[in-house]
Amino acid sequence: MFFYVTKMKSYIWVQTADGLIQQVEEEVAMFCPMICREVLQMGMGSSKNYAVSLPQRVNPAILGIILDYCRFHQVSGRSNKERKSFDEKFVRLDTKKLCELTSAADSLQLRPLVDLTSRALARMIEGKTPEEIRETFNLPDDLTEEEKLEPLRNITDDPRIRLLNRLYARKRRELREREQIKNVEVEEEHGDERSVDDLLSFINGGNGDSKGVKGTKTKKKSRRRKDQPRGCSSINENGNHKKDSAVGTFSTKLELDDGDIDEELDPAMEEELDREVEDFARRLNCVWPERMQKILTSSQESRRLLPIPINGTGSLKRYTAKFLLLDMPKGTVLFRNLDDQQASLRHFVSTTPWRSEDLVASKSLRV
Amino acid sequence: MPLSLSLSLSLSSKRRTKRRKSKAEEDQPTNPELSFFFVFHFWYFSLKLCMDSILVQDVISDLPQSIVETILTKIPIRDAVRTSILSSKWRYKWANLTHLVFDDRCSSLYNDKGLVEGNLVKFITRFLFLHDGPIHMFTLSSTYLQGSPYIDQWLLFLSRKDVKELVIKLGDQEWFRAPTCLFSCRKLTRLELIRCELDPPPSFKGFLSLKCLVLQQVFIAPDKVENLLSSCPLLESLTLSYFDSFALSICAPNLKYLFLEGEFKDIRLENTPLLIFVSVSMYMTDDTAEHFEQSSSCNFDKFLGGVPCLQRLIGYIYFTKYLSVGNELGKLPITYSHLKIVQLYEVSFEDMKEILVVLRLILNSPILQELQISSSSNTSLATEATDLDFWENECPSDCTFRLLKSVKIADVSGVPHEMEFIKFLLRNSPVLEIMSIIPSSCVTDGRINMLIELLRFRRASAEAEITFTQN
Repeated sequence: MFFYVTKMKSYIWVQTADGLIQQVEEEVAMFCPMICREVLQMGMGSSKNYAVSLPQRVNPAILGIILDYCRFHQVSGRSNKERKSFDEKFVRLDTKKLCELTSAADSLQLRPLVDLTSRALARMIEGKTPEEIRETFNLPDDLTEEEKLEPLRNITDDPRIRLLNRLYARKRRELREREQIKNVEVEEEHGDERSVDDLLSFINGGNGDSKGVKGTKTKKKSRRRKDQPRGCSSINENGNHKKDSAVGTFSTKLELDDGDIDEELDPAMEEELDREVEDFARRLNCVWPERMQKILTSSQESRRLLPIPINGTGSLKRYTAKFLLLDMPKGTVLFRNLDDQQASLRHFVSTTPWRSEDLVASKSLRV
Repeated sequence: MPLSLSLSLSLSSKRRTKRRKSKAEEDQPTNPELSFFFVFHFWYFSLKLCMDSILVQDVISDLPQSIVETILTKIPIRDAVRTSILSSKWRYKWANLTHLVFDDRCSSLYNDKGLVEGNLVKFITRFLFLHDGPIHMFTLSSTYLQGSPYIDQWLLFLSRKDVKELVIKLGDQEWFRAPTCLFSCRKLTRLELIRCELDPPPSFKGFLSLKCLVLQQVFIAPDKVENLLSSCPLLESLTLSYFDSFALSICAPNLKYLFLEGEFKDIRLENTPLLIFVSVSMYMTDDTAEHFEQSSSCNFDKFLGGVPCLQRLIGYIYFTKYLSVGNELGKLPITYSHLKIVQLYEVSFEDMKEILVVLRLILNSPILQELQISSSSNTSLATEATDLDFWENECPSDCTFRLLKSVKIADVSGVPHEMEFIKFLLRNSPVLEIMSIIPSSCVTDGRINMLIELLRFRRASAEAEITFTQN
């Protein structure tokens, strides 16, 4: 006759912050110092009414994970190698779970698990670029360019930091220029004759003289625009007194031929659009609503027309202009709000997610 | 993620334009742009609502600072500082770190040493300037930094921040001279100085909270060391390395761990009743050797006379020789009732006095569990066994090593006294599990003889396993 005797396991009652009371094996739970202390010193955990109340950061799912860890490690007969390989598999969780696990383990004072998860999180931070880290942890990129640059400028000579600085300086400059454009738009709402481009000359017939006056201005603006998409090496940091590198290069860039402006504006514009598409996603939270507000209010004041300098080769511009020239009485409005319209085009085009192909493809455009 | 967003937006915008264009064809919209704006505006907001629920929240930024600190201290400090541009919440998380470790990784390495040094100095200075909050631990370990005025300034800054643990390990070109502000770090619990010059001012009253002191290659006058040690009442762990020609008297009532390495002329453990671990490595020069011969006091008593709680003793080269110096060996009855592990290296089995030291040690340790001895005998000098009756005389016949489980004897050359010692151990260890013998690499011929002798020895323990390692 054989009797099978099962070992009686003793259980401890624990209660998580959401009110759920459950039983856990005693030896597993006692691996956590906080539970151990509650049981031994306070005498809790013996029954459902006296369940050990776990800290707020421990929810039932995380508790399950922690208990798995405790269940493995409280067995004394395991070799170091086994423990290490278990640990390595254990931390293969998504970042949200890992952070919650760290927080819960810390509140239960389970130091080895805190160290293990912290090391896993540290591995995700070490050696990565800021973009990668933001991607991993879903961090909002909500520092302004100025904030990013100060006060840690030049803290290292790492080329990555230098490139990052240049990128931010470029972004800052763009921001500033947009501010300036906005200011210009506000100031010169009822601007004078400004010449623009082929389209306008086509539409308006004989206003070539006034165009000529404005030509330089627009050309200058577009020249500046052209500079930006170029590689980092040509960019200097305007506001950065310390940087000695490229103050000279910027001024030399201004001395460009007038002749090739129009051809090169097209790819420049497109490139900028591409970049703005990406920026848009980033700025989703902060800037768009106010911009929308501005556009909406200013659009109500004047009928907007968004002429972009067009030449025969630029399909984008042609279609955009066509699209936006719907039902415009020829000539009258264009002149009055040229700069304002140019600025708002840039606004509009730069802040929409629409790609240029969409505009091109829209077949409703007609002049 | 931004890319996919823009794609989805562009795709849906494509649909929108199609709808729009049909509308435009049917009727004439009065203000096409305005309607377009409205449509897009509506679309954007609905998308935003949608995205907020899909996107995973940013959990890591809300973790408590202690956990963030645990994470940031596991990456090089330079990367920790770089986290400040991640987001607005992370802007100053790095500035609240309390455990700072600066090393050569703080600067990109160039061939020009001066440039690296300059970068390191800039980085650390700026870091400390921007730091906010207490600093508990500061470690500076760099081969590029020599003594420089900046280090003095940093130490002044740290002394005002109630630093608790300080480790300074610098290059060896020009030893750094510790400024006096170091001695005004009242809250120090751990101090490690490597390669520096220490000169406590007369007004120095001691580190009242210091528990761990490590001085390696430190240039300091001997009496100042004694003053320093006696003025740190809570000292538990002391490490003195590479000291020259020192005569030291250690008076530390709470000392538990002692590591000594250097050319010590004389070490006296005056008041160390709680000592549990001792590791000593004595280097011998001609002066010290002379000094030994002339010494009359018993070193064994001076050193091991007042350590009843000793649990583990490790003695490297010349330690046994040092202990063997002096008269009246073996007169003072001491019992090491906690001594479990004894490791003595470079014991010369030709010197009777050294053998006596070993015997005295193990015979007075009732709970000895592990014994490791390495021999430094020279077979060329070993002649006939001169006084083999020494063993019957000196050793009491009823001694038993009740708990001795593991014995390892290395560099055995087959010298008679070595074999007698092994015989002695085998005969008196009833629970011995393993006796591991490693022959000296100089001996090749005598190994067979050694083995033959070993076979003959009587063993008190049936479980005893004798391994003879040949390599």
